[in-house]
Amino acid sequence: MNELNNIMSIIGKETVRAIIGLIGVLVLVVINALILTWAERKVAGHMQRRIAAKEVGPFGLIQPIADSLKLLGKELITPANVERSLFYLAPTLIFIPVLVSFVVIPFDSYLQVKDMNVGILVILAFSSLSVLSILIAGWGSNNKYSLIGAIRSVAQNIAYEIPLLLSLLPVIIIAHSLSLKDIVEAQNGLWFVVYQPFAFLIFFIASVAETNRTPFDLPEAESELVAGFHTEYTGMRFALFFLAEYTNIFIVSAIAATFFLGGYQGPILPGIVWFFIKTYFLVFVILWMRWTFPRVRFDQLLNFSWKVLIPTSLVNLIITAGILKL
Amino acid sequence: MVKKTLEDIKNTLQDVDASEISYAERGYHLAIEAQKGSLVSVVEFFADKGFYLADLCCVDYVEYLELVYLFNNFKELCRAKVTLKVEPDKPVAPTISHIYTMAHWYEREIHEFFGVYFEGHQKLTYLFLHNGIDCYPLRKNRVPVTDDDKKLLDSFKPEEEEDAFFINLGPQHPSTHGVLRVVLKMDGEYILSAEPVLGYLHRMHEKMAENRSYQQFLPNPARMDYPGALLFNLAHVAAVEKLCGIEVPERAQYIRTITCELNRISSHLLWIGAFLGDLGGLTPFLYAFDDRENILDILESATGSRLTYCYFRFGGLYNDIDDNFIDMTKKFIKRMHERLGMYEKLITKNVIFINRVRGIGILEQSEVPKYGCSGPIIRSTGMPFDIRKVEPYAAYDKIDFEIPTGKTGDNMDRYMVRMKEMEISLNIVEKAIEKLPSGPFNAEKVPKKLKPPKGDVYHAVESTRGETGVYIVSDESDKPYRMRWRVPSFSNLMTFPALAQRTLLADAIATMGSFDLVIPEIDR
Repeated sequence: MNELNNIMSIIGKETVRAIIGLIGVLVLVVINALILTWAERKVAGHMQRRIAAKEVGPFGLIQPIADSLKLLGKELITPANVERSLFYLAPTLIFIPVLVSFVVIPFDSYLQVKDMNVGILVILAFSSLSVLSILIAGWGSNNKYSLIGAIRSVAQNIAYEIPLLLSLLPVIIIAHSLSLKDIVEAQNGLWFVVYQPFAFLIFFIASVAETNRTPFDLPEAESELVAGFHTEYTGMRFALFFLAEYTNIFIVSAIAATFFLGGYQGPILPGIVWFFIKTYFLVFVILWMRWTFPRVRFDQLLNFSWKVLIPTSLVNLIITAGILKL
Repeated sequence: MVKKTLEDIKNTLQDVDASEISYAERGYHLAIEAQKGSLVSVVEFFADKGFYLADLCCVDYVEYLELVYLFNNFKELCRAKVTLKVEPDKPVAPTISHIYTMAHWYEREIHEFFGVYFEGHQKLTYLFLHNGIDCYPLRKNRVPVTDDDKKLLDSFKPEEEEDAFFINLGPQHPSTHGVLRVVLKMDGEYILSAEPVLGYLHRMHEKMAENRSYQQFLPNPARMDYPGALLFNLAHVAAVEKLCGIEVPERAQYIRTITCELNRISSHLLWIGAFLGDLGGLTPFLYAFDDRENILDILESATGSRLTYCYFRFGGLYNDIDDNFIDMTKKFIKRMHERLGMYEKLITKNVIFINRVRGIGILEQSEVPKYGCSGPIIRSTGMPFDIRKVEPYAAYDKIDFEIPTGKTGDNMDRYMVRMKEMEISLNIVEKAIEKLPSGPFNAEKVPKKLKPPKGDVYHAVESTRGETGVYIVSDESDKPYRMRWRVPSFSNLMTFPALAQRTLLADAIATMGSFDLVIPEIDR
């Protein structure tokens, strides 16, 4: 114990906290991906009148582990004529912004890797990086389908980042803070979804588009582009894209829960349970949408953002600011 | 209509030998013999009168090759057969592809199977066969491929151009439903031109027919159109019955109607799933398969198989249906009416779906005769043309049913027409079960070995995708001398390059999905 204290005094409490936090985040990412692959199969199965995975483990719970073992065992094929350095870089790069976003999310009043006073800016800044790796993957694959998917992805992410930010601004104005913890604390009485229903809807739609999920899954539209930007990826490289997608779903749901649904606030149950209930409920809604809706067309997607979401969120922002000023 | 057309032909065209034929025996009303010089004017005459080119095929009579042009009119039934004899040594014929767009493909097909040259055809390259073939397969004598034609084998190589790139949509692609390949010339997301490349599933059923007896060919048609196997089965059986003059008992006719309509519903259900899959909605596929499963169970109890049925026999059926079949069908009809309401809520009223299909892939009504397309595709343009109505077979003349039509001919209309067709098919089945007479289900005295009299016959049925016609030439032996299949998807697909031009890739996929293409049927 004495030695541990010594080490702590040398490298500082904050660093230890950060290291433990990062390990916790990595564990969470992996567990979340396992849960989501299972949940997606189960949700899809039951929505499609079938049973889905049930053989491996009780209710098929071990299925995701079997799947990941299979993916780990697969040969990593590098097609001829790919831009090798970019091709290798992309799956790794897509994972960094995903990890950083976890740092500022408050899972409970005491459970947060680091409470920054620019919390939400960190998340938004890093999440916009993920489009870069999709572009790199599409370009490096030297495949026309991949390239079209990557180009779509860039246009889509740029278009939807603006309403995403604009829909968060009213909440920030009400809470007087960029720190996620302060925002949760500000929702002690009423959740912000009551004050800001439109902002919540806009945020939710934009975040589904940001995570490339149906009905906005154009970068990987399988009926048009085979598999979009990850057509040429196999094995663990493909799994990394997959992992990033599921983690992104979790993050946008977590942010929506934090900003609009009161984060870890809730009666009786401990805060962390409330946080996960809210987040996974939103995750379920995203899965539900995927198995219900057809895909929109590319121009409709962009029109929807520029002509509907952005003006609405701007009006919403101005009204909110005006009311608060009065 | 027939008399008037015959008079018109005699008045306007001089050196043409036209005569009226017994429709009940031959399946067409007029037989016209054209010469090389007069062929184009004859075809132009039919084009002026609004006829469509139902089929264009070739028969090798060893002493000469006979090109057979089959015309029909959408307004009123009037089938006309125009024949042109060409030399077997160096067969040359004038092209009609400038009059009928569809003739582009028919002529290419004849060129590769018979070695007939069409003067003036712009791109007489191979359509189905791509490499490794060294003779003209449908010729009766072995005729080696000429050196000029050898150069055409596997001639397709897109030329790279600036400001455009090529995408090979298929043969392995999730939304080409099998092994269709479409070469798309793209400008970004926009399609500049689309060219289907066929033949990846080509099995030469027409040649197979020449090598086996009529009975032995019975299982083959189901392999051409697997979702609508019974209807192809019926086309073959009914054509042979017409050729031999076999009378089919009433009960068999009704059972044929019932089973065919059930098969039509199952085929349409498969299409809904695939179409929505093309649009990115994956769940309706499973819903549709849930319903389809019921039909498969019903048909299995009667036919013994679940997909590639071979149920009809010359003069009747393989098996009679029992009370269990009727009970299951009645239960299914009740269930399906409810399910159709659910589909309406789930799909038809979905805003994303409506935005994806409305106003996309519009086929003008005036364009239809040029392509000779049929089925739901032309009904969606507002043309109430249905072989079941205009040329009734089985028991369709005894059952009253309406023909659903669309207005604009876009993807939405094609979807709506098929949805309504399912409902109408349910009604047909219901009425047919009510009227179902008792009696034998097989004709008496149908010989074990069929040797039809000399001559030819054309018989068409309305399969799920349109007019499926069989043209059989008999030489009094127990094998067909020539059996030609006119398949609807082939001519329906021909409209795709025109509809896909200057559209987004996603729209082209939606349009292709709305056609309900079945590739084994196109390639045969």
